[in-house]
Amino acid sequence: MSAPQLPGLPETSRPQEVRTDPPLLLVGTDFRCSPLEMRERVSYDSAAGEELLVHLLAGAGVAEAFLLSTCNRTEVYIHPRDEDAAYRATLDLAFLRRVPELEKPGRLYVKRNGEAARHLLAVASGLESMVLGEPEILGQVKQAAALAEAVGAEGPILRRLLRSAMSAGARSRQETGISAGAVSLGYATVELARQIFKGLEECRVLLLGAGETARSVARPLVERGARELKVANRGAERARQFQEEFPQTLLIPFEERVAAVRTAEVVVVSTGADEPVLTHRHLQEAMAARSTDPLLVVDLGVPRNVEPSAGRIGNLFLHTVDSLEVLIQRNLKLRKEEVPRVEEILDQEMGHFRAWYRGLGAEPVVARLQKQAERVRQHEVAQMLHRFPPDTHADLERLTRSLVRKILHHPSVHLRNHEGSQDASRLELVRELFHLEDDDQP
Amino acid sequence: MTTFLDAATILLPVAYLLVAIAYGFVFFAPQPLPERAATPGLRGTVLFHLAYLTALTYHWKQFPAATVSQALSIVAFAVAVVYAYVEWHGRERSTGFWMVSLVFFFQLLSSILTRPQPPSLEIFHNPFFAFHVSLALLGYASFVVGAAYAFLFLQLYRELKAGRFSTFYGKLPPLETLERMMLGALSVGFVSLTGAVITGAVYAERLDQPWLHDPKILITLATWVLYAAALLLRRMRRWQGRQTAMASLAGLGAILFSLMAVNFFFTDFHGFL
Repeated sequence: MSAPQLPGLPETSRPQEVRTDPPLLLVGTDFRCSPLEMRERVSYDSAAGEELLVHLLAGAGVAEAFLLSTCNRTEVYIHPRDEDAAYRATLDLAFLRRVPELEKPGRLYVKRNGEAARHLLAVASGLESMVLGEPEILGQVKQAAALAEAVGAEGPILRRLLRSAMSAGARSRQETGISAGAVSLGYATVELARQIFKGLEECRVLLLGAGETARSVARPLVERGARELKVANRGAERARQFQEEFPQTLLIPFEERVAAVRTAEVVVVSTGADEPVLTHRHLQEAMAARSTDPLLVVDLGVPRNVEPSAGRIGNLFLHTVDSLEVLIQRNLKLRKEEVPRVEEILDQEMGHFRAWYRGLGAEPVVARLQKQAERVRQHEVAQMLHRFPPDTHADLERLTRSLVRKILHHPSVHLRNHEGSQDASRLELVRELFHLEDDDQP
Repeated sequence: MTTFLDAATILLPVAYLLVAIAYGFVFFAPQPLPERAATPGLRGTVLFHLAYLTALTYHWKQFPAATVSQALSIVAFAVAVVYAYVEWHGRERSTGFWMVSLVFFFQLLSSILTRPQPPSLEIFHNPFFAFHVSLALLGYASFVVGAAYAFLFLQLYRELKAGRFSTFYGKLPPLETLERMMLGALSVGFVSLTGAVITGAVYAERLDQPWLHDPKILITLATWVLYAAALLLRRMRRWQGRQTAMASLAGLGAILFSLMAVNFFFTDFHGFL
C-alpha cells in the first residue's frame, strides 16, 4: 500500500483535548468517485457484510463498526479505539483487498468525527443520492443497521448515530419536499394519472409494447394499485415474458388495440415501430365512443408511436418522453429548493447527537455527585432518626430524599447539557467542589 | 352596537385578507406558521362575520339584505361557510387561497359600498320575502364557489394539456375531483336559484304590478337557463368538464352583472337593493 496515494486522515483535535463530537471514522466510495464496474466489486451482500464486520471488530483498533452498501455507495463507519489502526484495517479489508484500483487518488473519501456523522445523516436524508431525495436509501440504512446489530458491531456511539440518521431521514421526507414529485418515467406517468383521475385504483391501463420501457412504467402503476392491466404486443414471446413478471396482465392481440383504448383510462405506448401505432383518427373514434371521460396517453416511443396531432383532441392528454422529462426536471428543481430545509433538520439532529455525547462525558461525574449526596443524607438521617417518633421515619426518609433530589436536579441537568469548550474544566471544578474522589466511583 | 358594526366593516375585509395570505402560503410556498394559522384564522373570521350579520339584523330589526353592501356580505359569508365545510369534509386545503380571495373581494366591495342608513321598508320584515332573498343569495354563493372550481379546473386542464407543469400542477386535487366539486356547487346553486325564482314569482303575483319585464328578473332567468343547460348537457354526457366550466364562468359574469350593474342602473322592481 503506497501511503501518499491514499486519502490521508485529516488533522483534527488530539484525544486529550475536549471533544464536541465522538471519535468516528468514515471510509467510502460512491457514484461520484468510482465507476459502476468498481462499485460492483466493492458491493457487499448480507453474508459478505457480516463477514467484513466480524473481521473489522477482530482488529484492535475498531470498537464499533457499521457497513452501508448499496448500488451507488459502499461506506464503512468506525468508532475507533486506535484511529490509525482502524483506518488501515478498513482500507485494506473493506476496499483494497477487493478493488486495488481504489488506491488511486479521488476514488475513496475519508471523513472524521462530526463530518462523518453529518455525512451519514445526509445520506439517510437522500442528499447524497444519485437521484436527489430518492426514498429507498432510508430503508437501506435501516437494513444495514439491523445487520450491524445482529453481528454485535453496534455500540452506544453508532447506535445513537444511526438513530439520529433515521430520524433525520424520516423528518426530511415528512417535513420537506425532498422526496416529492416523480423523477422517473414510470412514476411521472403515475403522477400525471393522479392529476387527472380521482385515484389510480379506478384506472384501467393499456400498454402497447412489452419491452423494458413498458415494464418500468408498469411496475409503479401496479404498485400504486391500477385497476386493470392490458398488454398488446406485436411479438407473442415478449408479451408472455411480460405476463410472467406481471401475472395480473391480460394479453390482447395487437390488432385490437384501438378497441381497447375505448375502455382504458391510461394508455402507455412504447413499441419499436417506425410509424404511429395510434393515429389521430384512431383516437378520435375512441374518444367519441368514450363519451366525456378523459384519457391519458403517454407515448414513450422514439420515433413517436402516437400521431402528435392527437394531442388536440378534447379531454385527451397526450404526453411524450420530452414532456415527461420536463416534468422530471421540474420535480428535481423543486427538490433542490428543499435542500436548505433538509440542512436545517440535519443541524438539529446533529445538535441532539452532540448533546447526547456531551451528556455521556458528564454522566460519571453526575453519578458520583448523586452517590455522595445520598451517602451524606443517609449518614445525617441515621444520626438524627432516634429523636423522631417511629411513625414519622418513613416521612423523614421521603422528605430528605426529595430534598437531595431537588437540590441536585438543576446541576445534573446543567452538567449533562452544557455547551461549549469548557466542559472538562467545569467537570473538574465540580469534582473539586464536592470532593468527588476516585473511590467514589459508582 | 354602531361602533361594533363600524369596526366590523373595516376589520372583516382585513381579516379575510390575512386569511387569504395564509392560504397563499399553503398553496405557493408552504411555511409552518401560516399553514397552522390558515384554518383557525378562517373559522375565527367566519364566526366574527356571523356575529356581524347577527348584529346587523338586531340593530336594524330587519333581514340584512336591504342594500347591495349587505347582500354582498351575505354572499361572502355563505362562500366562506361553504369553503370551510368543503375543507373540513374533504381535508382539502389547496383551493383555500382562491376561495378566501373571492370572499375577501366580496366583503371588500360590501365594506366600500356600506351606507350609513339602510332603507327600512316593510318588505324586509316579511318572512316569505326573507326566504326568497336567502335562497337567491345561497344560489349566488354556490355559483361563486362553482366558478372558482371551474377556474381552477380550466387552469389545471390547460397545464396538463400543454405539458407546462407550472403554477397549478401538483398543488390542486385531480381534474375529476375539481369537476365533481364544481358540479356539486352548481347543482346546489341551481336548486337554490330555482327556489328563489319560484318564491319570487309567487311573491310578485301578490303585488299586483308587472314584474316579468324587469331587467334583473330577465337576467336572472337567462342565468337560470344557462345553468340548466350546462348541467343538463353534462348529465347527458354531451358536454365535457371543460365546457361546463366555461359555462360556469359565464354564469358568474351574468350574476355579477345582475347584482351590480342591473341593480344600480336598470331595475325598478328590484330597486330596494
